[in-house]
Amino acid sequence: MTALDVALVGFGLLALAGALLAVTTRHIVHAALWLVVALGSLAGVYLVLGAEIVALVQLLVYVGAIVVLVLFALMVTRSPIGPSRDHATSPAHRGVAAVIAAGLVALLLAVLLPIAGSGAVTRQVTSNRALGADLFGTWAWPFELLSLLLLASLVAALAIARSRAVTGKEDA
Amino acid sequence: MSERGFLPGVFKGLGITMKTMARPAVTHEYPDARPDLPPRSRGVIALVEENCTSCMLCARECPDWCIYIEGHKETIPATTPGGRERQRNVLDRFAIDYALCMYCGICVEVCPFDALYWSPQFEYAEFDIQDLLHEKERLGQWVQTVPVPPALDERAPDAAEVVSANKPPRVPRPAAAAGDATGAVSAAGEAPVRRERPAGGDRPARAERPAPEAAAGAPTDATTDAATPATRDAEPAAPPEPPEPAVPAEPPVAPEEETS
Amino acid sequence: MGAAMSVWEVVLRSVAVLAAFLVLPLLVGFMEHKVMAHMQARLGPMYAGGFHGWAQLIADAAKFVQKDDLLPTAADKGVFRLAPSLALIPYLVALAVVPLSPSIVGADAPASAVVVLAATAVGVLGGLMAGWASANKYSLLGGLRSAAQLIAYELPMVLAVASVALAAGTLSLTGIATEWRPWWLLWQLPAAFVFLAGGCAEIQRPPFDMPLADSEIVFGPYTEYSGLRFALFLLAEYAGIVLMSLLMSVMFLGAWHGPWSGPLGWLWTILKAVPIAFLFLWFRNSWPRLREDQLQRFAWLVLVPLALVQLLITAVGVVMMR
Ligand code: SF4
Ligand code: SF4
Repeated sequence: MTALDVALVGFGLLALAGALLAVTTRHIVHAALWLVVALGSLAGVYLVLGAEIVALVQLLVYVGAIVVLVLFALMVTRSPIGPSRDHATSPAHRGVAAVIAAGLVALLLAVLLPIAGSGAVTRQVTSNRALGADLFGTWAWPFELLSLLLLASLVAALAIARSRAVTGKEDA
Repeated sequence: MSERGFLPGVFKGLGITMKTMARPAVTHEYPDARPDLPPRSRGVIALVEENCTSCMLCARECPDWCIYIEGHKETIPATTPGGRERQRNVLDRFAIDYALCMYCGICVEVCPFDALYWSPQFEYAEFDIQDLLHEKERLGQWVQTVPVPPALDERAPDAAEVVSANKPPRVPRPAAAAGDATGAVSAAGEAPVRRERPAGGDRPARAERPAPEAAAGAPTDATTDAATPATRDAEPAAPPEPPEPAVPAEPPVAPEEETS
Repeated sequence: MGAAMSVWEVVLRSVAVLAAFLVLPLLVGFMEHKVMAHMQARLGPMYAGGFHGWAQLIADAAKFVQKDDLLPTAADKGVFRLAPSLALIPYLVALAVVPLSPSIVGADAPASAVVVLAATAVGVLGGLMAGWASANKYSLLGGLRSAAQLIAYELPMVLAVASVALAAGTLSLTGIATEWRPWWLLWQLPAAFVFLAGGCAEIQRPPFDMPLADSEIVFGPYTEYSGLRFALFLLAEYAGIVLMSLLMSVMFLGAWHGPWSGPLGWLWTILKAVPIAFLFLWFRNSWPRLREDQLQRFAWLVLVPLALVQLLITAVGVVMMR
């Protein structure tokens, strides 16, 4: 066990705990905050593995933007302090969710375990330059595809917002 | 704000603050440097106990009901045999509660006997609110801090006290009346009566006025002298006063002058 | 890099960063006291410490320590307690990676420009948590506004940093400052403007202090705080000014470039940061607060297009110079 192993396992467990708490807590805003823990620990995992830039972008985008958006939405709606039962799901619902989650985990494990190495964590520092070259060279098409997807959703959001604005003009 | 005026406005704001910063600050560092208060500042109200007749006007007019007056009547035995006994008000208590006072000055205005004065003194804060109730001894001490009233205008009529003190003695009634009449006639006959007065501006009454001011201006000297500034004003003015006939005739003269 | 440092060096660097983190915000805070006072034709603090009230902020700290640490009954206690630290610590992390000279830097990270951006973004989370956990309508409104503001101003800031990073060909702050040339002042001027405005909004200083807006929603997310926790928020605000000024100095003003930059480089970096810090104070005293809609309009219609145009200019410049 090297220090890297310990750090990796620690961050991994933290991420797992954060994720579990995020889906099980009855406090809605706490769920968002546990999500911060989970995503932050994931960034820690990336950092341990030497992917510094990925870890930082994870923080910047997920914690700094996505979670902030989630919190913003929660604040706009009525999110009570303390546990709320309004959004509790039925046992059947939970069962289905658990089965689907278990299936996903099994699938991921089946794919990832065979390619996992001997077990010792090795830190492979990727330089930012190499990462950039990869991202915009080898993976340019998926990257562009993603941006197309985002553009489409942006236009859709705009369309929805504008149609509301036009119809809502009378009562405004 | 119009769209066009936006940018200049932004820079103008920056300019104003920068200009202010370049100028010296206007702060008075109070406990270290005395504030420069205007002469009619309303700091605290001083009581000249001798002038107060316990008439209660101030207490009744005070909007806050924060003046407390208690008194009793004393009988003064007749001075001449067979004469009438007189009654006199004696002031037992006079207190102003500065925790309530709103410094409106109504009490000072209504007092018909010049017993209340404004003093610019303001440093009487207390740790206990009850200590803000100043009894008449404390109110009397403030008299030393009352500033001298400002000098009258050059052409203002004399104060009522001066006028009455200047009146010729009553006893030789007919002679004085004749003098009065001639004075009035001559004054009315010549247009520049008013102008005559500045020329005779060194009349004793006027020349005398700075003197009591100087006396009151040094409050430490005046500690034993509890007389009000107004009486001080009148008293020294009285003795050297030669009868001056033109003065009582003044009010009727003024309208004439305006018509001419 | 981590392995190359001895334990002592790590301790020394941490202590140095912590000291800078505690002292520099106090200096800026005192500067604010004095600048604000004189811009309003006042003198400001004059007593604490004797000479021109230099110890005023220390006295303030002593006062904050003595104050009662209030906790609203309806508040979400854990989140409420945690929020001030979450607002403060990211700035500490960010300050650690800002270089004062090529050799004087708390921790030289290869992507330090992204570190500071990520850190400031996380820092705003503290304000959000405080706003929600206080169980107070003013705080909630403040939290909402800071979330909206963060989302709007994060993007132009990232774009502005991307522009200099592109120009320098590196994501490291040390690298950016090393590559800096005087004519970048002109080339990167729009980016500098965008960064200044975005930074001002990020640390919620006037005129972008809609989330705090003391004259309308009391103090936004900080309304319910008192004592030390409130002091932590205040410290975070001034640490924010320090961070933004240093970043401006490093990324846009050439940090240690100047005469005798060898031994006095760190001094140059700080000297260039001081006018920027002064700018933040000056803005606060000169301009009224932007309304929420003006704020969003400014971010999306002025800053974002400007940053994109700047990115284009930078890209063209970089390609031409190849
Ligand atoms: S100043 Fe006004 S309020 Fe004060 S004691 Fe006189 S009358 Fe009353
Ligand atoms: S009005 Fe003047 S004379 Fe009358 S009681 Fe008040 S202070 Fe005394």
